[in-house]
Amino acid sequence: MSSPVLRVRGLGARVPSAVLLDGVDLDLEPGRVLAVVGDSGAGKSTLAAALLGEAAAGVELCGEVTVAGTDLGPTDPEPVRRARRAGRIGLLPQHPGTALDPVRRVGRVLDELAALVHTGRDERRAAVDSALRTAGLGPEHARRFPHQLSGGQQQRAALALTLVTGPSVLVLDEPTTGLDPLTTAGVVANLAGLAAHGTAMVLLTHDLDTARALADDALVLERGRVVRRGPADDVLGPAPGPAPDPAPGDDRTPRLVATGLRVVTSAGTAILDGVDVRAAAGDVHAVIGPSGAGKTTLARALAGLVTPGAGTVVVDGVGLPPALDRRSAARRKAVQYVHQDARSSFLARRPVLEQVARPGVLLRGLPPGRARGEGSELLERLGVDAGTAARRPSGLSGGQLQRAALARAMLADPAVLVGDEVTSALDAGHRRELLAALDALRRDRGTTLVLISHDLSLVGSVADEVTVLGGGRVADHGRAGQVLGRLRAATAGPPVAATGRAPSA
Amino acid sequence: MLAAPRRGTRAAGARVLVALAQFAAVSVIVFAMTSLLPGDAAEIVLGRDATPEQVATLRTQLGLDRPLPERFADWVGGLLHGDLGRSLVTGQPVAAEVGGRLGQTALLTGLALIMLVPLALGAGVLAGRRPGSPVDRALTGVLVAAQAVPEFALGLVLVAVFSLQLGWLPATAAGGAFTGAEVLVLPVVVLVTNHLGRLARQIRVGVLDTDRAEHVVHLRRLGLPERVVLWRHVLPGAALPSIQQLARIVDSMLGGVVVVEALFALPGVGSGFVDAVSARDLPVVQGYALLYAATTIGVNLVADLVSARLLPHREVLG
Repeated sequence: MSSPVLRVRGLGARVPSAVLLDGVDLDLEPGRVLAVVGDSGAGKSTLAAALLGEAAAGVELCGEVTVAGTDLGPTDPEPVRRARRAGRIGLLPQHPGTALDPVRRVGRVLDELAALVHTGRDERRAAVDSALRTAGLGPEHARRFPHQLSGGQQQRAALALTLVTGPSVLVLDEPTTGLDPLTTAGVVANLAGLAAHGTAMVLLTHDLDTARALADDALVLERGRVVRRGPADDVLGPAPGPAPDPAPGDDRTPRLVATGLRVVTSAGTAILDGVDVRAAAGDVHAVIGPSGAGKTTLARALAGLVTPGAGTVVVDGVGLPPALDRRSAARRKAVQYVHQDARSSFLARRPVLEQVARPGVLLRGLPPGRARGEGSELLERLGVDAGTAARRPSGLSGGQLQRAALARAMLADPAVLVGDEVTSALDAGHRRELLAALDALRRDRGTTLVLISHDLSLVGSVADEVTVLGGGRVADHGRAGQVLGRLRAATAGPPVAATGRAPSA
Repeated sequence: MLAAPRRGTRAAGARVLVALAQFAAVSVIVFAMTSLLPGDAAEIVLGRDATPEQVATLRTQLGLDRPLPERFADWVGGLLHGDLGRSLVTGQPVAAEVGGRLGQTALLTGLALIMLVPLALGAGVLAGRRPGSPVDRALTGVLVAAQAVPEFALGLVLVAVFSLQLGWLPATAAGGAFTGAEVLVLPVVVLVTNHLGRLARQIRVGVLDTDRAEHVVHLRRLGLPERVVLWRHVLPGAALPSIQQLARIVDSMLGGVVVVEALFALPGVGSGFVDAVSARDLPVVQGYALLYAATTIGVNLVADLVSARLLPHREVLG
């Protein structure tokens, strides 16, 4: 029996009108992983921040957090607490891309952080190399700027930042959000390795598969209160079986025909090379593949947001001009794109509802009042109430914005809706609502859905057809059940940590 | 995406070629000043009272009696050798005349920058780290006021106080080149005061944004000391976007600060250009036109290359 490395007593967070986190107690021994699960708004992120002594403006913290015998006490001034956090507790934030300094090379920042615990130059370099390796990156990535890394690599770089000081306790806020299945498996394997070396982890997630894979213990948060705790297997329950195959749509006329799409960088590297996509009206066509395989580029090329060097996109028998600014309003309406990063696709200073209603006015010529009415009805159906929708984007959570972004695309009444990771920030309940809305859309309007996703269980349950991209080419394609079967057979054996890297140019 | 270094080098090369093309285009236009002016450049230079003999002499001197292609070839050849002809007033080579004054202006610009950049960074950081604080409001107020005072008014007040009343500093450099350092103190103060507000306020906004940016918050969270956070993360993120603004300031200073030079009788580029225009010294005016083109194109080229290197994600060079 070892003594707990993390000891939390009565950790609470409150604003004058409400209690956000109510007297949480935790004890975590070295190498143990505690999963904290709960719906959006249950207080997971508040707990993650409070463990590091952080709180949003106006939020008051109370309680006691001790790491390896050192009190991180929220009452002391910040410079003192900061020095105590260094090398003791680390956090992997929910949006790792934003945790990287855009104007500094990854390796330089790692070196600065390594200097907190190592003085010698060689020791620092060893710590940096080891952190990169543990996070699943190579030494060559240290020379890159964040924008030169793929989404999955940014995730791993952020993990390396957290690991380089060798903290005893690691707080992970949704570490697998937006990662493809291979990268997720790699991250899970890395984290399991860290735990085996004695790092204690608090894992906050709505991804129950990851929680089951990593956690020893689990607790369920509901409205800031611990409602259940115990061994992970008891609290989280067994993994669900595969979902039944949906019946394919009756109407088989091709609605979307993209042929020979090719996108080349200015340096001459092909991101997308000769990719075909065909989908019938009302079909769900999923696009999967590792980070850097060209999934987002394909989605953007369909929507006209990147201009392909070759290839055509035909919707309902009408060819679309490759560049968006050459497409008329009717052609723009035909293909709508839901951005992977919902927050960055909203203007910061306008109410969300107004922005959701905009395509109805611009592309369908609705009067603004009616567009707003349709918008708020749609948002309500997706679980975003009118009061929330009247706020600016900063007042909405990532999941709420993701649903608003989808509603905005639906308001254009497109023939083809391209969704890039539209469920990545959603918990199970909201995901069901969103999938139901998508299902209604394709059933009632015959809208063809192209879903870019990392989530194989989602793909398995909703997709009619699947295209697998690898290195910018179609690696496999066919009916969903067959493709996923082949994929499962192929990924059962080899190690996963090394795959999923974008090819070096 | 991952081929950025190669792509960066190529983009930088393309940017240099654009700059060279710009300069070539401007030099053709400057050549056209003598050759394509309506009427005759010699008559314009000499005015209506000139005798036909004077005009004929000047035409020979300017080479206007030779065919156009030959003159253009001469002009380009001269340009490549730094030979821009001779001043009609002093008979000195234009390159020497313009170059000499550029040296003085560059000295003034350099001194002003040495004061301007640290002051702007300091003020921007002080104000931007505590937005809305008394320090922020006081600094912003003073900087806006300083920027609002016209150069000549500030210059006159400074001369009245420090030269005429206190007698600490010379009022002008009249009668000589930039002899002693004390001659430059007041001009530098006027220049810095004039540009400080714009630059400091831009840096203040940068600091304000960067100081709250998620990556900076995260590094503090991981325990990075404030000194490192400020110097290695907040300042680069906040100040680098101001490079373009700084380039505009350098360009305007190198192009000659006519008011300041006139006020303190400094023999710099600005007063030289004014003199050349009023004397209708066409070759010298051409020299200044080329100099302005070169400094503007050069300064912006450097600013773009530096931005592309230090702010790679902004894709300055496209």
